[in-house]
Order: sequence, then structure tokens, then C-alpha cells
Amino acid sequence: MDKWECIVCGYIYDPEVGDTDSGIVAGTPFEALPDDWVCPECGAGKDMFEKVE
Amino acid sequence: MKPRKIKDGIYWVGAVDWDRRLFDDLIPLPDGTSYNAYLIQGSEKTALIDTVDPTTSHVLLDRLSQLNVERIDYVIANHAEQDHSGTLPQVLERYPEAQVVCTPKCKGMLVDLLLAPEDRILAVDDGATLSLGDRTLEFIHAPWVHWPETMLTYLREDKILFPCDFFGSHLATTDLYVSDEGRVYEAAKRYYAEIMMPFRKIIQKNLEKVQRYDISLIAPSHGPMYDRPEFILEAYRDWVFGDPKNIVVLPYISMHGTTRVMVDYLVDALVGKGVTVQQFNLAVTDIGELAMALVDAATIVIGSPTVLTGAHPNVIYAACLANALRPKTKFVSIIGSYGWGGKMVQQLAGMIPNLKVEILDPVVVKGHPRDEDFAALDKLAATIAEKHETLK
Repeated sequence: MDKWECIVCGYIYDPEVGDTDSGIVAGTPFEALPDDWVCPECGAGKDMFEKVE
Repeated sequence: MKPRKIKDGIYWVGAVDWDRRLFDDLIPLPDGTSYNAYLIQGSEKTALIDTVDPTTSHVLLDRLSQLNVERIDYVIANHAEQDHSGTLPQVLERYPEAQVVCTPKCKGMLVDLLLAPEDRILAVDDGATLSLGDRTLEFIHAPWVHWPETMLTYLREDKILFPCDFFGSHLATTDLYVSDEGRVYEAAKRYYAEIMMPFRKIIQKNLEKVQRYDISLIAPSHGPMYDRPEFILEAYRDWVFGDPKNIVVLPYISMHGTTRVMVDYLVDALVGKGVTVQQFNLAVTDIGELAMALVDAATIVIGSPTVLTGAHPNVIYAACLANALRPKTKFVSIIGSYGWGGKMVQQLAGMIPNLKVEILDPVVVKGHPRDEDFAALDKLAATIAEKHETLK
């Protein structure tokens, strides 16, 4: 599963870890995050993320 | 207080704040600033683009009175921040038929920050248009210049871009248009460094978006208008896309002169290797000048003595700012001194996680530098010069 980086603040969404503070369980791919999910560090939306190559 | 005519039916109705010397209780404003608002009259509807800082509300309202504006249909809120949207409540009160037009995200922020009436706010999609009769406004979503809700407004028939903070400069002047490009370049670069640089990657995308439009005038919300748009577009391209330059920025503090001896020695060594150095004694530095220097520098060398086991608080402040501003710096080193011990290097190195940099070997000495310490500074200068060669 791909990691995705927030281009506003540099936070990396790691699907292996998820985002438990926002109720996202480990193993959730970035594509499956809800549309209203935001970066836990800076509040940027999903459209501000780029896939880490 | 008279409004200024840009062309038939288009007026500058903003406020010039000559006396303001500090923004956000953080950013020095050596040249004051302005809060630009623009009135656009179409054959059927009238729009106001942005408002002004709440401390100057009366200026905007007076100018609208002078123009005998009896009805405003739309107030375009490109940005929710108080210096542009702060007079919205008064404008909505005076013009009860006016609707606020903004991005969906901005709508929520206007309600949260200004307690604006939700039922009078119209959220528009990216690329949406609004007809004023013989004039058309197009809204361009441009997030993160410099808040998440920002948008730009393009007046199609007249080819005028109203980008709000994007391309702005803190400069109080009676000139409606840029008259001295050198002076405005400095002010716009300072503004970019302080406000926009942290979002450089997103600004790259927004800049590409803007360049798809045919623009004859850029009318920002701070500072004079650009009747030669290429001037500011080219400057922004250099700041956001350009490679870092052969420059070392050297912010430092010296309490008893020891670190200063090292700073002076390193500066001479760097200059001898053809590297430009910008040196800032943080006890007397305008942080805007420091931020501006960070726009282009390939390397930051931090100089600090050791105080109560760590770096000097002014140095910690500068490191914190550099980390938040996310310049395109590639290399960092630390020089300085201590009397008996401390963890200055580890502390500073741990404070800059946002900077994707290579840390070059620090030079930290006990007491006054000796021959081997000067040799280490020579080596650091040589390493920096070599690293900079690889950037070309």
C-alpha cells in the first residue's frame, strides 16, 4: 500500500499505521479514507496529498 | 478620502495604513501596508472585492459613500483573514441586499471567525462565474495562499486578476500602480518569505493555474497594483521554482565575543571560496530581513553560545522560524562555543525537522577558538563551497 505525503506540512499518511485519532484503523489505504478526512497535523484536505514514490 | 478610479466602473476603495509597524504581533512592517478593496460596477450588478482591516472600516465606508454606492449585490471574500474580511459585518449591515461570495471552506471560516450570517454567504465552486451584466467574475480556487480557503477572482472582460494576498506587498504608498519596481520587489519578496514560502509546493501549482489566464493587471490586497504583471510573475517563478543560490545565511548571537570571532573567521573563509554570506546578529535583526534571505540561500549556518546548557533564546527563536518557513535550504551547520558543557548542537538540530537538509559537521569549541578550531572552520567553508558547486 502506498504512503501519501501532505504537501502543506510534510505529514506522511502510512496505511500500515492509519490515523487512530481520527478513527482510521491500521490497514486503511489512502484511497479508502473518507472525503472529509483531513491531515491530522495541519488540517489540509485529501486533495493536498501526493503519493510518495 | 477619495476613491481612486482604475477605469470606468472600477475603483480602488481600500485603505493605506502608513503607521502600522507590526502584523500578527510578529511581522515587522518597515513600510506600513495597505488593505486594498475594489468596487466593480457592471451594467446590472455591483460587486465589492474584499474589504479592509477592521481598524480602517470607516475609510472603506467613506469611499463607498463618496461614490454614491447605494447598492452592493456581491461582496467577494477571497480570503477570510480579518485584514480583508474584517469589515464584512459593517458592509453587510449597510447593504442589506449584499451576498458574500467565497469558497465553501471560506464560508465556514467567515462564520467561525467573524460570526458572519450563514444565510447571506454564497459558496462557489472552482471556475464558477458570476455575471454583473456586461462584466463577468470568474472564481479560481487557489488554496493555501496562504490559508486553506483562499481563492482568486478574475474579471474577464477587463483581464484583471484580484489575487488577494497572493503577489501582495506590505507597502504604504499613494501610488496606485508599481512605480519603483526595485522597491516593490523587496517588499513583495519580504511578503512572500513571511507569508507564502511555507506553502511553496502548493504555490507552484497555483502559479501554473494563474498563468493560464490572459492578465493585463494584477490587483492584490496589499501594496500597489501590477500593470506589468510579468514583473511579479517572474519574481514568483524564481522564488518558488528556482534552485537555491550560492548563499550562506548566518544568524548568530555572541554573548562575550567568542562566537563572533568564529563567525567573522567563517565569513572570511566563505568569501575567500566565492560564497556570498548574509550575516544576521539576532540581537538587532528584523526577522523579515532574515526570512527574505532564506528565500534563496542554499545553506544556513547557525552561530550560538551556550546559555543554561542550550542555545541562546534568540537563536532558538530563529531556528523555530526557519523551520516553520520551510525555505529550500539544502545544508545546515552549527558553530559556537561553550564555557563548561551543554547540548546546544543536539537541541538546535532537533528543532528543524521540516528542513530537508544535510547537516554539515558542526564546529563547537570550549572557550576561545584555537588553531585546530580555525582549521575546522576552514574545512567547513571548503565543504560548503563544494556542496554549493553541486547545485549548479
